[in-house]
Amino acid sequence: MAVIAKDSLIGRRIPKMDAPEKTAGKTRYVQDMKLPGQLVGMILRTDRVHARIKRIDTSRAQALPGVHAVLTAADIPQKPIGVNKDNPPLKGDKVRCIRDEIAAVAAESEEIAKAALKLIEVEYEDLPGLFDPTQAMQPGAPVIQEAKPNNIAMVFDYAHGDVGAGEAESDVVVEDEFYLHYVTHCCMGVSGVIADFEPTSGNLTIYSNTQVPFLHKREFSEVLGMDPGRIRIIQPPIGGGFGSKLDIYPFEPIAVYLAKATRRPVKLVFSREEEFIASPTRQPAIVKLRSGCKKDGTLTFRTVDILLDNGGYTSWGATIPFVMMQTFSSLYRVPHCLYHTKAVYTNNPYAGSFRGYGNLQATFAVEQQIDKMAEAIGMDNLAFRLKNAQAPGEVTGQGMVFKSCGFKECLTTAAERSGYVQKFSANAANRSKPSARKRGIGMASMLHVGGGAKIYPSDGCGTILKLDDFAHVTLITGASEIGQGSETVLSQLVCEELGLPMSAVTVVNNDTEITPWDVGVHASRTTFIAGNSAIGAARKAKEKILALASKVANLTPEQLDMRGGCIVRAEDGEVVMPLPKLLRSLHFSDKAELVMTTNYYEPPSVHQGKDFKGDVSATYAWATQVCEVEVDTDTGIVKLLKVTAAHDVGRVLNRLGLEGQIEGGIVMGQGYALSEDMVFKQGKLLNPAFRDYKLMTAPEVPEMDISFIESMDGEGPQGAKGVGEAPAICMAAAIANAIYNATGVRMTNLPFTPENVYRALKGAS
Amino acid sequence: MVERYVAAKTVEEALEALSGGDATVVAGGTDVMPQSQAGRLKLGRTLVNIRRVAALSGLALTGDEINIGPLTTVADLNEHDLIRQHLPVLADAADKFASPQIRNMGTIGGNVCNASPAGDLLVPLLLLNAEVELRSSNGRRRMKLQDFFAGPGKSHKKPGELLTAILAPLPKAGFTARFEKFGTRPALDISTVSVGIAGVMAYGGLQEVRVAFGAVAPTPMRGPATEHALEGKKLDDAAIEAAAQAAMQEVKPISDVRATDWYRRELVHNLVRKVLQDVARG
Ligand SMILES: Cc1cc2nc3c(=O)[nH]c(=O)nc-3n(C[C@H](O)[C@H](O)[C@H](O)COP(=O)(O)OP(=O)(O)OC[C@H]3O[C@@H](n4cnc5c(N)ncnc54)[C@H](O)[C@@H]3O)c2cc1C
Repeated sequence: MAVIAKDSLIGRRIPKMDAPEKTAGKTRYVQDMKLPGQLVGMILRTDRVHARIKRIDTSRAQALPGVHAVLTAADIPQKPIGVNKDNPPLKGDKVRCIRDEIAAVAAESEEIAKAALKLIEVEYEDLPGLFDPTQAMQPGAPVIQEAKPNNIAMVFDYAHGDVGAGEAESDVVVEDEFYLHYVTHCCMGVSGVIADFEPTSGNLTIYSNTQVPFLHKREFSEVLGMDPGRIRIIQPPIGGGFGSKLDIYPFEPIAVYLAKATRRPVKLVFSREEEFIASPTRQPAIVKLRSGCKKDGTLTFRTVDILLDNGGYTSWGATIPFVMMQTFSSLYRVPHCLYHTKAVYTNNPYAGSFRGYGNLQATFAVEQQIDKMAEAIGMDNLAFRLKNAQAPGEVTGQGMVFKSCGFKECLTTAAERSGYVQKFSANAANRSKPSARKRGIGMASMLHVGGGAKIYPSDGCGTILKLDDFAHVTLITGASEIGQGSETVLSQLVCEELGLPMSAVTVVNNDTEITPWDVGVHASRTTFIAGNSAIGAARKAKEKILALASKVANLTPEQLDMRGGCIVRAEDGEVVMPLPKLLRSLHFSDKAELVMTTNYYEPPSVHQGKDFKGDVSATYAWATQVCEVEVDTDTGIVKLLKVTAAHDVGRVLNRLGLEGQIEGGIVMGQGYALSEDMVFKQGKLLNPAFRDYKLMTAPEVPEMDISFIESMDGEGPQGAKGVGEAPAICMAAAIANAIYNATGVRMTNLPFTPENVYRALKGAS
Repeated sequence: MVERYVAAKTVEEALEALSGGDATVVAGGTDVMPQSQAGRLKLGRTLVNIRRVAALSGLALTGDEINIGPLTTVADLNEHDLIRQHLPVLADAADKFASPQIRNMGTIGGNVCNASPAGDLLVPLLLLNAEVELRSSNGRRRMKLQDFFAGPGKSHKKPGELLTAILAPLPKAGFTARFEKFGTRPALDISTVSVGIAGVMAYGGLQEVRVAFGAVAPTPMRGPATEHALEGKKLDDAAIEAAAQAAMQEVKPISDVRATDWYRRELVHNLVRKVLQDVARG
């Protein structure tokens, strides 16, 4: 008989399953879909930033041939949406920011819909605008949301220890104010939805780009006053998420209302300009940080006061303090921490969640002050970091338990591979030389959840696994694919358990009618949570298969294994029987049975109470990134030359996918630091196009040296941790430190666009 | 609203279509399409595609001038031997232009007629003392490129006129020209500022100096004060600084979403200095 050696898929370079289709241009996104009878939905947005709506006249639009419905706030139930339930899908009383939706049309064609929007007359009474969050609490400041007369949308407070005591024992105290700007996700697939009511049953199907289908279903049921059981969400392939599709936004219920009014499917897709204006941004922040240390480099305390511009309405951006808090309290050993944040309403646009969820902002502040303090006490900043970095087994002031922890290995690996310490002092010594181009090197580390985040009472994910008579596997998972490669890694984990090739798996992951519950794609959780869920389902299947095989083979299940599509003897790999044959014998026997398993995985983490203490994630991830830059002092251009990254990933599962994730994150972080910038003037976006909103392009991508620290997490799927957000987090902080190393100028305000850098170098304001 | 589409094959056909009035010429379309879609350009009733007019493409050396067909693409400029050999500054500007896709589509004629103060081929063409030939159903005329521009997006070309040639005299022996474009990233960027300096190198300095600037005034502009500051001077640190100062004073930049006027002036100063230091080094 043939023999099959033990083999493993873990750590291999496996191309994404959806790559061939995407590179061939065959993927059909929501943009490409057309349902029979489908109408085009379009939204009229205001051109005012703060105004009372006195009158809307839609009669001329209604009369336009080809127009099937024109809706305003008067035509729909007043059910505000969003995190604070402060955002009515169509605004009736007043508008609060430039993106505000005031009317919507459904028409035969895009041209007709556009023409109809032009025929809608709106009369406003302008109200004083509020664009500076620092003025939101001044007496007499305009009130944005009547329910919140003090303009405060959300507050977070947290403390451990006693910062007064910490400060008293400090030899050095530093204090800075950091400003972090507006950027946006720039998904290649713009926002879009199709709403379709089944004519007889009245059941609703929504074709949606959402990252959270099950939470969405519930949101929709509340807004529409509909039984959630009658709402089905199907996700066509999603052209990028990065957190932007984590909330419900006005355009979605608007499409549903239009479909309801017209009894036709309505498709509503943004233009690129609309995507810039009306999709969420990264949360801007003003961070005041005061920290201290002793002469020997021991950190003593952090006092944090953060002001967030909430914009006109509240989406997830307002809740980033939840994540920022983890960095302030627990990135390095912090004996005392006091933390206060406020999100205030203004007439600016509102922020949503965005890869990193506040951690870019927090890390920017923390890691710059680490360098400052090290310099103040005359200590090498790598040694300073190593002194304060945690080791496995430590519990932080916030109650996070660092079961596996590769923090120090991240620091030393990135430092050694980049020649950090030597270059740092050489660059500093070269600062005074006359050359216009200065070299700099900078480092930053980050801490982020790596095993989900229990921000809801459940952080679970369900899996259904089915093997057919030919040993083909259908993996039905609650976890959505948004381009991050979840289908591939989940299939890989299942194949690893069942000894099958990747080609043996089909993934079903995009229909709430079929897939089991999952909380959604966020918090870098899918590989960890959905991976554990899938492994559990595969193990149940394996157990069942080997139990039967043991009868056939006259061996115990422990003596058997599954390899290469066969049942084999574990000790020497000798083939006992091909798997399909065994499955058919099970199926067509007297006690006919199929191999179908289900599994629900709930991570061992804590849903924190009001004090925000507890072990919120099943594990944590670390990374250190070192950036090398060249600053052209004639122009202010900062060229990113090289990034040396070391990531504690638990264990490498799909090396190709992992590298892609890290590389993409680095470039996203680079864009945040160096070029991306939404320029607002009095609440209006001046650059809603890629021409003047500058994403990084291929020539700017730096050389990268990426190392993986395999800390083998005990709870992780095959030892892995989540890393989706991690690679974007350190970049701005590391680049800021590198600019300082090159020039001696500390940049506390993002972005580091050439003009901003030049201005700082000139000392001009 | 476009009512008529003419894919002209000859200059005469194109002029005929233009003579009806309210017509828009399309060459590569890389300005026309984005501008009309953004609502900044209203397309005329007749759309005249000149891409197939053979007589408008091609490059030739006739006598002592190079005749550049307006349909010459930016990619052609970058690659063509005549340009590389005689007008390398134009090839260099073409190399710094947009992305390969846009370079393949966009034409020199489009760049000239679009008359953007930031048009990247315009500064080198000013350095080369280029002229343009315009034709209408009533005849043809020639004018200096320097006199062609009227304001941002505006030129002295009349609605019925077609740009039929761009003519650059063969530079003298010893002629050197440099073009520096500043954008915030190396690829696919509209110039925030661009600077061109040219002249004949002699006695450690420049003679017959020509200086031009882009994106710092309503039109691409020549810099007479900077030219004057440089003419015949030995390129030492003091002369370079004096020229850089003259340059930053004679430009008239505005503040927009890409840069403030202050920064543009600083860039002009520093880029002029950089180019001159480079020229001085040889
Ligand atoms: C993504 C992108 C990046 C770009 N980057 C750059 C850049 O880096 N630098 C730069 O300078 N420009 C840039 N541009 C602008 C544009 O590509 C150039 O101006 C290009 O040279 C225009 O040529 P075209 O043939 O496409 O012109 P078209 O769009 O066809 O025409 C432009 C204008 O000229 C008129 N016209 C064209 N040819 C004639 C003719 N022979 N006679 C009369 N009128 C005529 C048209 O009616 C129109 O008004 C960019 C554009 C895009 C979309």
